[in-house]
Amino acid sequence: MVDLARVQKELHECNRDFQVSGINVSLKGDSLTHLIGTIPGPTGTPYEGGTFNIDITLTDGYPFEPPKMKFATKVWHPNISSQSGAICLDILKDQWSPALTLKTALLSIQALLSAPEPDDPQDAVVAQQYLRDHQTFVGTARYWTETFAKTSTLAADEKVHKLVEMGFPEAQVRSTLAATGWDENMALEKLLSS
Amino acid sequence: MEDYGSSDEDIYSSDQDSLDGLENDESDSQWGSSTGNSCKVITRESLLVAQREDLWRVTDLLSLREHHARTLLIHYRWDVERLLAVLVEKGKNCLFAEAGVPVLEEVDVDSYVSSSTVTCDICIEEVAGSEVTKMDCGHCFCNDCWTEHFIVKIKEGQSKRIRCMAHKCFAICDEAVIRQLVSKRHPDLAEKFDRFLLESYIEDNKMVKWCPSIPHCGNAIRVERDEFCEVECSCGLQFCFSCLSEAHSPCSCWMWELWTKKCQDESETVNWITVHTKPCPKCHKPVEKNGGCNLVSCICGQAFCWLCGGATGRDHTWSSISGHSCGRYKEDQEKKSERAKRDLYRYMHYHNRYKAHTDSFKQESRLRETIKEKVANLESKDSRLRDFSWVTNGLYRLFRSRRALSFSYPFAFYIFGDDLFKDEMTNAEKEIKQHLFEVQQQQLEANVEKLSKAFEEPFDDYEETHIMEMRMQVLNLSVVTDTLCKKMYECIETDLLGALQFSSHNIAPYQSKGIERATELNGGRSAKANNIIPCQKAHDQTNGGSIEFVQPSGCGTSDEIGCSSRKRTRKDSGGGFFDLNLPAELIDRN
Repeated sequence: MVDLARVQKELHECNRDFQVSGINVSLKGDSLTHLIGTIPGPTGTPYEGGTFNIDITLTDGYPFEPPKMKFATKVWHPNISSQSGAICLDILKDQWSPALTLKTALLSIQALLSAPEPDDPQDAVVAQQYLRDHQTFVGTARYWTETFAKTSTLAADEKVHKLVEMGFPEAQVRSTLAATGWDENMALEKLLSS
Repeated sequence: MEDYGSSDEDIYSSDQDSLDGLENDESDSQWGSSTGNSCKVITRESLLVAQREDLWRVTDLLSLREHHARTLLIHYRWDVERLLAVLVEKGKNCLFAEAGVPVLEEVDVDSYVSSSTVTCDICIEEVAGSEVTKMDCGHCFCNDCWTEHFIVKIKEGQSKRIRCMAHKCFAICDEAVIRQLVSKRHPDLAEKFDRFLLESYIEDNKMVKWCPSIPHCGNAIRVERDEFCEVECSCGLQFCFSCLSEAHSPCSCWMWELWTKKCQDESETVNWITVHTKPCPKCHKPVEKNGGCNLVSCICGQAFCWLCGGATGRDHTWSSISGHSCGRYKEDQEKKSERAKRDLYRYMHYHNRYKAHTDSFKQESRLRETIKEKVANLESKDSRLRDFSWVTNGLYRLFRSRRALSFSYPFAFYIFGDDLFKDEMTNAEKEIKQHLFEVQQQQLEANVEKLSKAFEEPFDDYEETHIMEMRMQVLNLSVVTDTLCKKMYECIETDLLGALQFSSHNIAPYQSKGIERATELNGGRSAKANNIIPCQKAHDQTNGGSIEFVQPSGCGTSDEIGCSSRKRTRKDSGGGFFDLNLPAELIDRN
């Protein structure tokens, strides 16, 4: 069985210092075993300014078995499959330790975004481009960030507008939307419960 | 060959005495516990005894506790020499660190217990100081979390190397703690864990292998020096120690694998395995890729490239994938179809001969019974001829030579073929060598057939003088085929395999006496072992003088005892046995 008490504590802990880390973990549905993690693209990388959603599934053995994580947002990176979002990271496989948490795992993924390891590629095409034509790589990665990892301003404005019309202050609406990965329904639930 | 002709004459002209000498040499007693034997049978009962020797060497040398010694030995795959080499080369700390043995011994455990509650970093709960366990590496977590961790790892098949839960801590957990915690919740898993640890001596040790018998006899075989040998287990199965398939010398294991694959009809399973798995380059188990990148790591820890199946380090680089020749197209399509036809005829040539000899071998095995009858008939006659060991010895010689002969055909198929050794010999060289080899092979073949024919004769009805003639003939043919086998092996080992430059093929050497029978394992270090024989047992020994197998006290059911004593007969039990249920430390103290 998943250690639900620990997951709850982790969620609480993680969302408490959201302001510092920018990393957020929230429920996908009403089960504690399906979660969505959000990490901001690290500054100084082609991923800067993007918000990346990561699909998290906890197996029965968690935390003694690693959580299953993959990118839900499309991303151009040598160690992340551009097709499936699968992540090639040792701590998600044999180097997992029960002492690690969802937050530390997400931080490691964020670190992976800043420091790709093209020598151990998940996506051969991306890795090849990274090594041989770095300029193009940076361009593609930035383009993908712009296209997939940024909620289009138009759609975002629309969501903000909708919620403001319901009577919530705009600043709160924006921060809640950001925290929920721009999920309108989840943001509304949060706003209502706060 | 002239050389051969002269030796042939020598043998025919040699007097009877020398032949009798040979005869004695070949007598059945050769299978007794000859001292030269290096292969040992390890049974379920003697598994612990078998590894004691190695454990003791390490515990003594490094003054370690047994479980640390076991961790070291598992890491170095029970190769004590290599372990010692690392010790000399890199020092104790490095040796320990690589194997995950904590260098700090026995930190003060009580310091934790004194404080009333501790926060466990895994479940993030406050736990009473009595409910936590601190490992040798210094990391402390609550017992529930440890237990859960151990259970997951045991179920994953990682029993032999369960690491501490702390991130980036490579220490291996104390097996006593694991046993104690797991047995509280899951006694059967704890048992499984124990078995995994014990069997590491077989699984991870290149000098020890399970007997491949089906259904499994429960035994393992240990060789001392050469892993390229053929051996007979106490269950009667003969096999190649190196690849665990049937004995196939002078074919190398690689050739034999290719040959059997070629001969076998491809079943669905084989199809699936070839399509979906690759053999691990280290342990050769088929590995299925279930996702992730092309750097695959086998459960044994070996990393390899999924594209070419070659072993890689963990520092697999991008360029080494792209540079693989496995992706290159080698054959010229046109030449291919032409060659295929020629290859098929060539294969049929060798396969027909291989098959013919294997079939003869099977038929001759049935001869054993008729020959027994014939010998019985002769013995019942009132004749001055008494000794008929030449019949059985000759028959064994026939079996062994027939076997070598039949496997020499697949060997020839590969060694003179175009695939495996294409770059090793020029065509001219190949022609000469092939000719030389075939001359040897044909001479052997001719004499094997003569020997076989002799046994078909109704010699039990012959006159005495006629039988004496036959005896001479069989004895001579036995010596000749033996010599010819030796020569063929010499040619194979030096002229053919020995000359290879780009690949290395090892074969089990020719044994004039046939496949070696593994003997039962002796009870460990005699000096120490003697001390711990229970008094009663020692008493029994002095009384009995020669006794059958001594069952270790308090171990095994009566059923097992019956089985073991049937299997083992030993006159000298001076080596002694000790209680397998006692931990080594206890035995040591005694």
